[in-house]
Amino acid sequence: MRDDPSVIALVERVCDGDQDAWDEIVERYSPLVWAICARFQLSRTDTDDVAQGVWVMLVENIRNLRQPAALPGWLATTTRNECLRILRTARRYDPDGLPAEDLMPPDTSERAIEEDLIEAELNVALRAAFAELPEACHKLLSMLIQDPPPSYAEVSSSLGMRVGSIGPTRARCLAHLRRSPHLAVFLPERAGAIEVKETGR
Amino acid sequence: MSAVSSGLTDDELLEALQRAVSARAAVPPDFVAAARDAFAWHNIDAELARLTYDSRNAEHALATRTEAASIRALTFTSGRLTIELEVAQDSLVGQIVPAQPAMVSVLPRAGDEIVITADEIGCFSVEPIPHGQFRLRCQTSAGVETMTGWITL
Repeated sequence: MRDDPSVIALVERVCDGDQDAWDEIVERYSPLVWAICARFQLSRTDTDDVAQGVWVMLVENIRNLRQPAALPGWLATTTRNECLRILRTARRYDPDGLPAEDLMPPDTSERAIEEDLIEAELNVALRAAFAELPEACHKLLSMLIQDPPPSYAEVSSSLGMRVGSIGPTRARCLAHLRRSPHLAVFLPERAGAIEVKETGR
Repeated sequence: MSAVSSGLTDDELLEALQRAVSARAAVPPDFVAAARDAFAWHNIDAELARLTYDSRNAEHALATRTEAASIRALTFTSGRLTIELEVAQDSLVGQIVPAQPAMVSVLPRAGDEIVITADEIGCFSVEPIPHGQFRLRCQTSAGVETMTGWITL
């Protein structure tokens, strides 16, 4: 999961000063930064401050990343550290101290952040795969993932599909999504030997 | 979250897709825009001074102690400089530590840059208090250049 070749290419382009590549990194991973700040229950102002610290540090250090592919992990760790820094701003003379117990949100352990990271990487892959689906599939699945989900009758009238064809089309579109190369690293070996990565500990 | 294995049912896959799409939709557009803007730092020589103290957060932490509540105070720290700020009646007073003369620029997100001078002991005063978001850039005579993150008072 950590050797996504497209991340490596993006990092290389950013090192050459390519704003578009930077924007793509932001597009992919700002949900990760956002989610970690949410886990720390930061206010919006503090969230913005954390994000600014994270992104500026990335600009300053991107050339020094030992392994460009480890960028998402670097972002997760840096965001966590910046969140801890913000919590420490309440204590002027003890910058190295940890936040007081009562300021520490419930689950901000490294393991919890690691789970956010794994989910974020899967989400990046899913969104990329989703974006490349044929238009008809994209439309149908977009409707089906609405909250609350629409009834098949609503889908039918909205997309001009027979109710009877929605189920089979949904299955075909999801099969298409599964085959996406973006999801290949998340898929087990084709020939049996299913190895699901344990992330729960 | 385990892998999107072929063992994942269609319903589970659709659920995962829904989570992925809503995780992105939850991020406000201005949050993403600010992150894009951060790339401008690649051709700025200044070092970022990050917020290391905010009295507002401290008040929150020490809600029972009232004496801290009167003055808003902020501290920004970079590798080589500390900028301490206090909001006075109708000005923003600051000091650069270690004490030294410097040029201090107020850079509002909207509006023109204002340049002021910090005296030999690093003290400066911004009048009137800046409205809206701004940042401070500080250039010392020794050539150290530091810029704070965005500040809203």
